[in-house]
Amino acid sequence: MSSLEVTFVTSDRTVWTGTAAQVVVPAVDGSFGILPRMQPTLAILDRGNVRIIAEDGSVTEREVQGGFVSMDSDVVTIAVDQADRARSAS
Amino acid sequence: MGAQQREYKKRIRSAQGMKKIFKAQEMIAATRIAKAHARVLATTPYADAITQAIGAVGAHSTDFAHPFLEQDRSETGRAAVLLITSDRGMAGSYSPNAIREAEELSNRLRDEGKTVDLYVVGRKGETYYRFRNRPPKQAWTPYKEEELGALGHEIAQTLTEALLSEDPAVHVDELYLVGTRFLSRFQQVARVSRLVPMAVVDGGHGDQAQTFPLYEFAPDAASVMDELIPRYVESRIVNLLMQSIASEHASRQRAMKTATDNAQTQIDKFTRLANSARQAEITQEITEIVGGADALAGSGRAER
Repeated sequence: MSSLEVTFVTSDRTVWTGTAAQVVVPAVDGSFGILPRMQPTLAILDRGNVRIIAEDGSVTEREVQGGFVSMDSDVVTIAVDQADRARSAS
Repeated sequence: MGAQQREYKKRIRSAQGMKKIFKAQEMIAATRIAKAHARVLATTPYADAITQAIGAVGAHSTDFAHPFLEQDRSETGRAAVLLITSDRGMAGSYSPNAIREAEELSNRLRDEGKTVDLYVVGRKGETYYRFRNRPPKQAWTPYKEEELGALGHEIAQTLTEALLSEDPAVHVDELYLVGTRFLSRFQQVARVSRLVPMAVVDGGHGDQAQTFPLYEFAPDAASVMDELIPRYVESRIVNLLMQSIASEHASRQRAMKTATDNAQTQIDKFTRLANSARQAEITQEITEIVGGADALAGSGRAER
């Protein structure tokens, strides 16, 4: 099973980088999940939570606002304007 | 102590005082370069991601139009120039170089029959234009080094509004950035770059043309482009701001290093002069004593 190479950046720093099993992003037309071997996608993000599930099952969650995500041959780049720690883990 | 010696001592003390200040400035700048450079590097992944994404959209769909991409923007004949300078001096030729580039650009634009709207970051640039009775359209000064991200955001917003405005009094056709690129600690260059109108696809790296993945766009290519372009503009401005700050520190470090060395040369010079002045004084005193004793001996009076 392949995995995702994830780079999660804001305009001035890198938030998270590594390999993940699954990524969930809040696109403008609805939240969607990214799994390995998904088709290349470039999506605009809205306000919401980005959830990165690492290979070992640990979850990183950030509240983001505006940005985009690009997915191509298992390389995921999430670039956002703002990323804060998600309020109260739900 | 003679008057001459006192004068030299005074100069030495003043040079020593200044040397301390220069040295401190140099060391402060040196530590800040590393920090500022790290900040430049931190913005690189984002800038790369956004450039790549824009290139991908541009390469795969032709059915979009964005006002920033139109090559022929000539509504009002006005061009905006964003000039980045420093707030403080003592940084050698950092600000003057950037200002000179901006002046050359403005002259060129004026020769082409355009009007130039100046936007300035930093007190040095602002006072330059204010003094010459050509106050900039807007100046951001003083600015804080820790808040460059927010500053860049604000600048990008102002400029984007001006570029998109329908109001002929506000609208500008083109946007140029003048700032200092940080090539290394030892080399920084003031350079002009045109941001709007934008070249659709970046030149790629050498002869090895980049290939872009066949993306699926969500929701669609046009709205992706609409979202990406303002971000691209902002990321370019923020990146240039940070490079300029890093260059400012590097430039200041170099200027202060030279100043420290010069102060040391002064100290050495005046120490030598003070020494010879002291020696001259001693010689003179001895001559006077000997001369006095000779005169007494010659007067024929016996010693008491």
